[in-house]
Amino acid sequence: MLISPVAIGIIVAALVLIWLIAAFNGLVALRNRVQNAWSQIDVQLKRRHDLIPNLVETVRGYMQHERSVFDAVTEARAQAIVAGSNMPVRTAAESALSGALGKLFAVAENYPQLRAVENFQILQEELTSTENRIAYARQCYNDEVMKYNTAQSTFPHNLFATLLGFSPASMFAGMDADRAEVYVKL
Amino acid sequence: MQLNAHPTGELTEPNARQRFEPRDRESFFAAQARNRRATWRISVLCVLAAALMGIPLALIITPLLYGVALIIADTVNLFSPLPPEFWRQASEVSRFGRVALDWLLQQKAADPQALGIGAAMMLLPGILFSLALWAGVNLIFRRSGTGGAVLALRAREPNPSELKELQLVDVVQEMAIAAGLPAPQVMLIDSAGANAGIIGASPEDARLIVSRRLIEDLSRDELEGAVAHLIGSIGNGDLRISMRMTAVLEACGLLMTVINAPFGPQSRRILWRMVRYSLLRREGDPQEAAVVADLLTRSADLEVDDIDRFFDATRKKSRLRSIRNFIFFPIFFTNTAVKLLLWFFSWAALGPLMGLLWHTRQYLADASAVQLTRDPDGLARALQKLNEEPGEIPGGDWASHLFLVRPSRSGSTFATNTQQRQMLAQAWAASATAASASMPGASSDFAAISRQLPEIMRAALKGDERAAARLRSLYQSVSAAEPEFAAQFPNPDDLIAARKGDLEAMSRLRAARPNPAALGQTGMQKDQAPSSPETPSLVGFHASLKQRLKRLALLGAHIDPVARDRKAGLVILALSLLLGPFALLAILLLLLLIAVMTLASLTFVVIWLAVIHKLFALAGSPSA
Repeated sequence: MLISPVAIGIIVAALVLIWLIAAFNGLVALRNRVQNAWSQIDVQLKRRHDLIPNLVETVRGYMQHERSVFDAVTEARAQAIVAGSNMPVRTAAESALSGALGKLFAVAENYPQLRAVENFQILQEELTSTENRIAYARQCYNDEVMKYNTAQSTFPHNLFATLLGFSPASMFAGMDADRAEVYVKL
Repeated sequence: MQLNAHPTGELTEPNARQRFEPRDRESFFAAQARNRRATWRISVLCVLAAALMGIPLALIITPLLYGVALIIADTVNLFSPLPPEFWRQASEVSRFGRVALDWLLQQKAADPQALGIGAAMMLLPGILFSLALWAGVNLIFRRSGTGGAVLALRAREPNPSELKELQLVDVVQEMAIAAGLPAPQVMLIDSAGANAGIIGASPEDARLIVSRRLIEDLSRDELEGAVAHLIGSIGNGDLRISMRMTAVLEACGLLMTVINAPFGPQSRRILWRMVRYSLLRREGDPQEAAVVADLLTRSADLEVDDIDRFFDATRKKSRLRSIRNFIFFPIFFTNTAVKLLLWFFSWAALGPLMGLLWHTRQYLADASAVQLTRDPDGLARALQKLNEEPGEIPGGDWASHLFLVRPSRSGSTFATNTQQRQMLAQAWAASATAASASMPGASSDFAAISRQLPEIMRAALKGDERAAARLRSLYQSVSAAEPEFAAQFPNPDDLIAARKGDLEAMSRLRAARPNPAALGQTGMQKDQAPSSPETPSLVGFHASLKQRLKRLALLGAHIDPVARDRKAGLVILALSLLLGPFALLAILLLLLLIAVMTLASLTFVVIWLAVIHKLFALAGSPSA
């Protein structure tokens, strides 16, 4: 049975086309995961915004003399909400909020009757968890970006990736403000 | 003293014996890739082993299938004669079959093409039938996944106003976010053991089962590591793999059930239950699935089944029974051959391979946990802690491979009768010299007791007199209140004496060791207790703690390297060299036995069918 060269050519072209479609879909899926991970960070940041008023109300009764701390937290939260999608301002505001919250909890250590209040413990756990979730959401985003960048820049996908509009994504870098605010309890 | 800042804001002290020396580290991405490749390799071996098992199995099943077809054809023929073309095709088939058999048994030379067709005729129907069974089992259980039996226990939702349970829910959410997966539903079990596992069919409907004891024993870091392992496992698709593995065992059981069905009511009941489950329009009831799956798997064990009962020689002999036994004699050979074959291959070939496969999935999940938490120490410490305590979750045997550590049973399992728990709590309070124990009654107290008791026991064994006195008074009050309950506990004086080397005390302890099977099941009848899919095989499903810790150390965990037990290694080597040839001989004999059984089955079935065909011909000829 002789297969003509034309038939072979058609079969090969068909296989290449199928492979191209599969590769394209793979890159699209990875890029969507990157975007999903990015919006996850926003979800967790918003969750933190929602938890703060409750926290401030709970501790205000016990820590009447620490007004500056409360004001810092409320101010930072307002600025973060106002910043909206302006990325540099927003990121700065969010890390300022992290710092203010950290100060609040450090000061709360001096009020033993506050620590015993169950509501406060639960709120503290919730906020700790939210900080963790923000961190893990950023970590997940970075991992997804790494997978997407690797897929998009390795052979043979790099041959057509830029042609079809798949540009590398950028990772989430730690802000300098974050690095400065480390609270150490000695 | 160096302090590490941790994302939780909590500050943790590193292990006091931390070593600051350069070591060969591996990135967890590399570890994951390595384990995935290993999984592929072992899967290929599994498929080969299954194929190897398939050939003798096909040789046994094919005659049965032909027989069924022949009987159907003959019956149809009685009512409306089939065209002669059909009978000519049938005799062609048998001719090819005979050619293949002659070549195999009598070394008669044969035309290669005819031989090929003959071999295909003899093997193909059986192979297709087995594959159809396996695909069918996969389809039926796909919606419900594995591990549903654990749901039969009193699992509850976590209580968000209780701090520890809230922490658990938060940790699960955090790990799910880190993994980019939907968070699995969390269910808590109040059991004496500390363990956690996953059940379900896919990442969307996976469930996390955690025992209450676990969240009390582990700190937040360690809990993060443990949960990250389980969620990493879900993300890696281990639920689907586990389902495929158990599907193989269930398919074997289904085969046995189908062969047994004409002979016994038990098999018919199992088949009916399976059909009823597969026709359920609901989302797949996991509990029912687990029960059906368990029934199927146990059919493949070497237990007494319908055909054995059919031929039971101890029942009274009537003439009718003897005639019946004589007529159905060949099926006995078939049954034994299939059972031996399945048992041997699952013990020696498929079982160990599936065990090794599951080991690589566990290592992969460990590496995924490190990727999610970026902290190998948490998981390493959690594993060490969990291995010290008994990790049994009653009723969790069925899904034991899906749990974090092997659910082991220890002799100190408590019965969970509330009355007994109250009595125990009272006795505990009475025995306390300090006012540390609180009022009895609530189940959380029981959890505290089950945590404190092993500590006191350990202290007493080390020589602490106060702990020993407390233990003794507890034992006395419990035996005064309920003697049979107290019989489950070893006498503390015996324990302490045995620890010091008293041989008599040791033999007394050994004699009094309670039956683990009677203790471990809560509320389930003993004969309903699900058996493990870990069919007895050379390799268990859980990777050894040493191996897991070694790999975690490569990923950066700070743990003391376990001293290599050289002496034990040499002893094992010597034993295997001595016993190796005998084991090999035993295996060869077993294979020979299987071959003989196969051929006997083949012969008898063929004779059987010839007789039946003749009978049909005789019955048909008066009307022809």
